[in-house]
Amino acid sequence: MTSVTHRPTWTPWLYLAPALLVLGGLLVYPIWQLGLISFFRYTQAQVSGGEPTTFQGFGNYSALFSDPQFWQVLLATVLFAAACVVSTLAVGCALAVLLTRVRAVPRLALMLAALGAWATPAVTGSTVWLFLFDPDFGPVNRLLGLGDHSWTYGRLSAFLLVLLEVVWCSFPFVMVTVYAGIRAVPAEVLEAAALDGASQWRIWRSVLAPMLRPILTVVTIQSVIWDFKVFTQIYVMTNGGGIAGQNLVLNVYAYQQAFASSQYGLGSAIGVVMLLILLAVTLVYLRLLHRQGEDL
Amino acid sequence: MNPPRLNRPRLNPLRHPWRTAAEASALIVAVVVAFPLYWMVLGAFKPAGEIESTEPRPWTLAPSLDSFRRVFGQQDFGRYFVNSLVVAGSVVIVSALIAFLAATAVTRFRFRFRTTLLIMFLVAQMVPVEALTIPLFFQMRDFGLLNTLGSLVLPHIAFSLPFAIWMLRGFVKGVPEALEEAAYIDGASRSRFLWQILFPLVLPGLVATSAFSFISAWNDFLFAKSFIISDTSQSTLPMALLVFFKPDEPDWGGVMAASTVMTIPVLVFFVLVQRRLVSGLGGAVKD
Amino acid sequence: MNLSPRIPALLLTALVVTACAPQTSSNSSSDKDEKTGTLRVWLFQEVGNEPKQKVVDSVVAAFEKAHSGINVDVEYIPVETRAQRVKAAFNDPSSAPDVMEYGNTDTAGYVKDGGLLDVSKEFAGWSEAKDTDPTAKTSVTVDGRIYGSPFYVGVRALYYRTDVFKELGLEAPRTMTELAVTARKIRAAKPELYGLVVGGAYTYGAMPFIWANGGELATGKDGSYASAISGGSAQKGIKEYTSLFTDDNCPAAKCAGMGGNDTITAFAAGKAAMAIGGDFSHTAVEAGKVKGEYAVVPLPGVSAGSIAPAFAGGNNIGVLKSTSHRTMAVQLMEQLTSKKTQTAMFDAMGFLPTFPDVRQQVAAEQPYVKPFARTLAAGTKFVPASPAWSQIDSSSVLPTMFQEVISGKKSVAAASKEAATKMNDAFGSAG
Repeated sequence: MTSVTHRPTWTPWLYLAPALLVLGGLLVYPIWQLGLISFFRYTQAQVSGGEPTTFQGFGNYSALFSDPQFWQVLLATVLFAAACVVSTLAVGCALAVLLTRVRAVPRLALMLAALGAWATPAVTGSTVWLFLFDPDFGPVNRLLGLGDHSWTYGRLSAFLLVLLEVVWCSFPFVMVTVYAGIRAVPAEVLEAAALDGASQWRIWRSVLAPMLRPILTVVTIQSVIWDFKVFTQIYVMTNGGGIAGQNLVLNVYAYQQAFASSQYGLGSAIGVVMLLILLAVTLVYLRLLHRQGEDL
Repeated sequence: MNPPRLNRPRLNPLRHPWRTAAEASALIVAVVVAFPLYWMVLGAFKPAGEIESTEPRPWTLAPSLDSFRRVFGQQDFGRYFVNSLVVAGSVVIVSALIAFLAATAVTRFRFRFRTTLLIMFLVAQMVPVEALTIPLFFQMRDFGLLNTLGSLVLPHIAFSLPFAIWMLRGFVKGVPEALEEAAYIDGASRSRFLWQILFPLVLPGLVATSAFSFISAWNDFLFAKSFIISDTSQSTLPMALLVFFKPDEPDWGGVMAASTVMTIPVLVFFVLVQRRLVSGLGGAVKD
Repeated sequence: MNLSPRIPALLLTALVVTACAPQTSSNSSSDKDEKTGTLRVWLFQEVGNEPKQKVVDSVVAAFEKAHSGINVDVEYIPVETRAQRVKAAFNDPSSAPDVMEYGNTDTAGYVKDGGLLDVSKEFAGWSEAKDTDPTAKTSVTVDGRIYGSPFYVGVRALYYRTDVFKELGLEAPRTMTELAVTARKIRAAKPELYGLVVGGAYTYGAMPFIWANGGELATGKDGSYASAISGGSAQKGIKEYTSLFTDDNCPAAKCAGMGGNDTITAFAAGKAAMAIGGDFSHTAVEAGKVKGEYAVVPLPGVSAGSIAPAFAGGNNIGVLKSTSHRTMAVQLMEQLTSKKTQTAMFDAMGFLPTFPDVRQQVAAEQPYVKPFARTLAAGTKFVPASPAWSQIDSSSVLPTMFQEVISGKKSVAAASKEAATKMNDAFGSAG
């Protein structure tokens, strides 16, 4: 990005004022409360005033860190989220490029299908996918001749099934955004590259990707945040975490261990840990971009 | 504003066979992606007992409107629908305006704490929403907003803003500095540039961003469950869907029909959005 | 870009500063006992809600007529939203109802949260209360105090396919051992069917096996429970249940992940010869493929002729602590759960009455109720009346235990010991 022309004035703050007001009141403050709650014994009985709140120091955190299941779930979450992010971005970008190569009718068909997938409520999307892959009632096994193979019994195949659904409902966002970005690239640039005989992959790597970097950055960060926090898909499709909890991810774990039974102190501690991990991932990612000469 | 034509055939006749292959794969992908949706709509029309049949058929010989009747027959269904529209509509409009201003500030100005602010905008999305529900509940209570649509609109604005600001940055950045300088040389005031030049150029991006806020507000269960406590007349559409999820005997036909009903308005919104998105953007960035 | 370490530092500082405690609300009981005004009532919204609404409307009309100046406002809330709604009601007494319906496993939790009113005195003085089923009474009792009135019960029994049994010359099993043998026979003769469809996540279907073998989930009472799930008899029950997850009855690959609803779905679709289903599953099975081809008997116990103790599910109606119309609210609660209302509610919705005499009377009219009524009469059991139960339930302690055994990850002894530890942790922390 070229240098910004404006010298520091009060103008940006004026523009930011409404956003800061809303975010300060409705996000910063609750997050501060979240941090606070994570140091207390704070269950529904405390919230509704049945019992006094008691300060626990790092009690909630040590309970969390001493649970071996937590570390297992954390590892599974990181790997699963990474797989989801990579697949979603790959599918989304590939289809965005495809969209620029086709005429109006197929483009509209793909666009509409993708928008439909995006618009479907997560609960329903997960339920329908589960129906599709059901060993007894689903058409997929019939189609693939898999008999009554169960997709949710094996740990990896259950994760794979959920991954497919996650990619299905989140690639449209990537595809539409990147497609819009590609359309914004001046046609001459692409034509020049094509005339020079550059391959599709080369055009993407050397021309499109650098120009789309601001958009790709946002899309990547958002995907990381969303996929790390996957809840509905796992909860619905693996029936609350899979056989003996083999498909638990952090958000479902937090829900089962804490929120469902109103242990807000413990739940907030998990929330804080999630926040710190995501923050670290984001900062590292941004720093890498920075090193490549990119600016925020 | 004519979108640039990337695939002008006369440039390279060899592209033709490729285009056919590309179009065929686009159609195949479209079918695969649409199939779950088709299954959902099909489920809504299947008569009771046929959804969970050991012989799953991709059609139904006896389409029935029973499931839709159960959905529309619910008390106050129309009311829920309007409430959902009001919530999603207000969230979209207010957050788009606020985000536009904020995105302009963080892309076209350089000031202290700019980066810190940008990171802070992201942080909010990183914690599980359930964890924030309790503090938000007390805030809504203190504002006297519990049991009103306001208790849904406000948190949703807050939750869609960070994302909207981040998304819009790219679009605002795409508008060349030269354009801004030219506007000032022509004697335009800052607010004139902002609203009459920048705003229309960023509009497609705003619309794309709005699509996201719209969906998250439209499909939300959690806030609606937590903040609309005692006044069902303020409930939203997802509550009508939840009725069908009974732990002991979920009514899949009802779930599919209610989901179909919920998905359609978003699709309509999207179809409108899609045209703007595609047509507007190319022109916006061209010098 | 300039990312200084100051952001995380700032955050940390904010987190560590714990000068003031998080917000709470005060939910003290109201001293007022007004005799006029509006009574707010929350009932669960059923899928076909109109018949329920009709019965309630007539009760309300009679109540309003009897108490001039009282206006009753009934609201139907989706079952799925109850957890958040009820919590919110406890947090914001001004939005809270006076009277509400709640699932009976939630009783202890709601009492601990300080939400329900102790109605022991009124309940004791109410003439119909003495006829209440003892298990139903347990489900409104915490620490010997009564916190509501049972509204209906739900109980599970054995559904089986009469056509399949006839074809293979089989009879309804009379003992648990026979149950397993019959199931395997069917699967061997008809490999496309599950013998007895079972689910690794179907806790309420598994509990009778533990209880029938003399095991318990937990022992103790009045707030100090200790897990008994790793006891010898309980382990026997666990072994008996998990041994059904084999390729010759219900393959682990498919059945380990099933919950109660999945098993009924499979039965209704004609995929299983037997299933453990509730009286509330009757409608779903009737709508399925097997209509007219099935019968129901109580789930057999260990010895011939005995009935395995079933879990007594169901709902209660209670009064909230924050009510300012105590007398009126309690009276309305009694009217909503009276014998008369429960009879009408059975006719309208098929909800099983909590009074054995009323139950007998309706079983005479509707034969399908008989096996369920017999199961209830044989004695049912309830989950520990501890607020820890909701934690044990939501963190899937028991399904995890069953699934670990079924998938061969752990032995019965190891899995049940681990489950016992988790349960005791929960009992210890939730008190």
